[in-house]
Amino acid sequence: MYYLEMNDVKKSFGDLEVLKGISLTVSEGEVVSIIGPSGSGKSTLLRIATLLETMDVGNLAYMGQYAVTMEDRHSVYAKTSQLKEIKKNFGLVFQSFNLFPHKSVLHNIIDAPIFVQKRKKAEVIEEAKELLRQMGLEDKADYYPCQLSGGQQQRIAIARALALKPKVLFFDEPTSALDPELTGEVLKVIKGLAEQKMTMVIVTHEMSFAKNISDRVIFMDKGVVAASGTPEEVFNSDNARMQEFLGKLKND
Amino acid sequence: MSFSVMLEQLAQGMCKSMLIFGLTLLFSMPLGLLVCFGRMSKNRLVSGIFGFFISVLRGTPLMLQLMVVYFFPYYLFGISIGNWRFPAIIVGFSINYAAYFAEIYRSGIEAIPKGQYEAAQILDYSKSQTFFKIVFPQVIKIILPAVTNEIITLVKDTSLAFSLAYMEMFTIAKQIAARDTTFVPYIVAALFYYIFNLLVAFVMRQFEKKLSYYN
Amino acid sequence: MKLFKKLALGALAVGMMATVFTGCGKKDSKTFTVGFDAEYPPYGYMDENGDYTGFDLELAEEVCKLKGWTLVKQPIAWDNKDNELNSGSIDCIWNGFTINGREDDYEWSVPYVDNSQVIVVKADSGITSLSDLAGKTVGVQAASAALDVLTDEEGQKALGDSFGKLQEFGDYNTAFAELMAGSVDAIAMDIGVAMYQIEGRGDEFVILAEHLNAEQYGIGFKKGNTELKDEVESALRELKKNGKFDELAEKYGLSDMVCFE
Repeated sequence: MYYLEMNDVKKSFGDLEVLKGISLTVSEGEVVSIIGPSGSGKSTLLRIATLLETMDVGNLAYMGQYAVTMEDRHSVYAKTSQLKEIKKNFGLVFQSFNLFPHKSVLHNIIDAPIFVQKRKKAEVIEEAKELLRQMGLEDKADYYPCQLSGGQQQRIAIARALALKPKVLFFDEPTSALDPELTGEVLKVIKGLAEQKMTMVIVTHEMSFAKNISDRVIFMDKGVVAASGTPEEVFNSDNARMQEFLGKLKND
Repeated sequence: MSFSVMLEQLAQGMCKSMLIFGLTLLFSMPLGLLVCFGRMSKNRLVSGIFGFFISVLRGTPLMLQLMVVYFFPYYLFGISIGNWRFPAIIVGFSINYAAYFAEIYRSGIEAIPKGQYEAAQILDYSKSQTFFKIVFPQVIKIILPAVTNEIITLVKDTSLAFSLAYMEMFTIAKQIAARDTTFVPYIVAALFYYIFNLLVAFVMRQFEKKLSYYN
Repeated sequence: MKLFKKLALGALAVGMMATVFTGCGKKDSKTFTVGFDAEYPPYGYMDENGDYTGFDLELAEEVCKLKGWTLVKQPIAWDNKDNELNSGSIDCIWNGFTINGREDDYEWSVPYVDNSQVIVVKADSGITSLSDLAGKTVGVQAASAALDVLTDEEGQKALGDSFGKLQEFGDYNTAFAELMAGSVDAIAMDIGVAMYQIEGRGDEFVILAEHLNAEQYGIGFKKGNTELKDEVESALRELKKNGKFDELAEKYGLSDMVCFE
């Protein structure tokens, strides 16, 4: 059983076809990186996988449960109650963190487990403190997001997502909004998660990071998967678009 | 009339003014939220109706609205409710201020970044949890200066109840002025309004300070 | 969230405190609600203790004593008097209420005071007759009998038209302030009111010897409400008989003006 499975996903915004039939499967413990130039559709794919955006055609399942099925060549979304169940399987870390500014670091992490999952407060707080230790931020529990650096905020956002114990964790360009000297601390945390066999799908521009950490790399271009495989296969492929993309990055 | 009797009379009027003030806030702030939801409804008919409601209430004088509320049951339906002066004043003030508060809330809600909603959605917050735990607390901070303005205006607007001859401070000041053929009661009343508003501004500043723990 | 609760609680507390302050709500036997302009001495106004009194209100009190009614003195905004009467929030308008020109609009009691509309000017203004007012600015209370006289074809419209400007105002305090300041040259009003105002303000002001007209005061009931009118009227006659009426007229310096036999 795949943790995540999506088949032949198509999406248009008006006349612009952003995704032209993308299929993706992720198994337990796998780390999949999605790379590609801006406008290639990778962020849209992530938003569709996390149900922030709807697809026009295709299906989508987590742990074998279908959130979206194909009927008569169109996507049909499951009932709200079913979707609510399915949503428990994944978490998402945003490019711009999207922490709740009016809540302390601790409350950013514990509120959803307490209010949404109705778990015991004492237990959740214990777990949150452990997560903060893991992020190297155990002394920041009572701080507010505005008092922290971008890198610290993003690590809090990762802790917040992990507190709900997702099966799959998505990252949408987690270091793009950070100053270069702060990206390292976030990437280190993600690497740590990979070592713990966390199942992750990461949209990123950090090529060497993707190369190091991923079990599989997917190169997207103009709404299609142009190349996919192990990091070695993709980065050494003779796909012209891939070479062009890597060449541009080197010149930057 | 001796100065002490005049002060006593005006103080009694002040109590009535504060009663209008307190009840209007009590009713108009939650009512404004409902109106705001109506105004922001995705259903264009609903949002159109509430938009019209808001534009009429903001676009016509409050004094006129008070008279309409008080006299319309009779002129429209022939019902004689008798002396329901005070309830009519509270109804008139509450719906008028609800319209203003609705627009203030709307400005605040629209200032919340989309990412906040998306984060809440990913964390599985329900729609109402998202609003009351994530959006509204941030809205309060954003709109506080505008709300303070509105509240200070309300303190002064209570004097419009004179048009229905309700014995609030301004009406009484007018009557004492007529009796004693002097302007002194107006000056005293002005002082009372000013002191009350200093108090309001002070309290609101405390609220703002309390909310300054984040940016 | 906490803050929201506190805001709501605060508003609630203010509301409840204030409810205790007012704590009114008496509703018993038959009430007789008199609508009056509390800024119209000597007929209806606030006395030195802050209670409403005046010639008309004391008369109404005596009527209620006779009838066993409870009197409710309801101050009204004068501009709204018809709305108040029609909607039933008051039973009558009793407050130096001029009959002339409004004969068909209300159910009138018998006239009980003869009143004239007069002109008040500053003593040193040099204005001594109505004809001196040509081209001048004259103040008059909105919706008042004096205004009616000055704009009615059968009244003194010709005189009114000779004024430079007819300036309407809301209350007499404002009007006298304007007269003092010179932004109006004269004010038209009831003679009873004029005498009260001049008594309060001293001899800087004078009433022109020439009057605009003579008119009469009555009690105005809602059109068709003859039953209540008859009851009040018969009580009024009784007060005249037992001397109470004249006693009150004396007290308010209106004896010369009574026209009720």
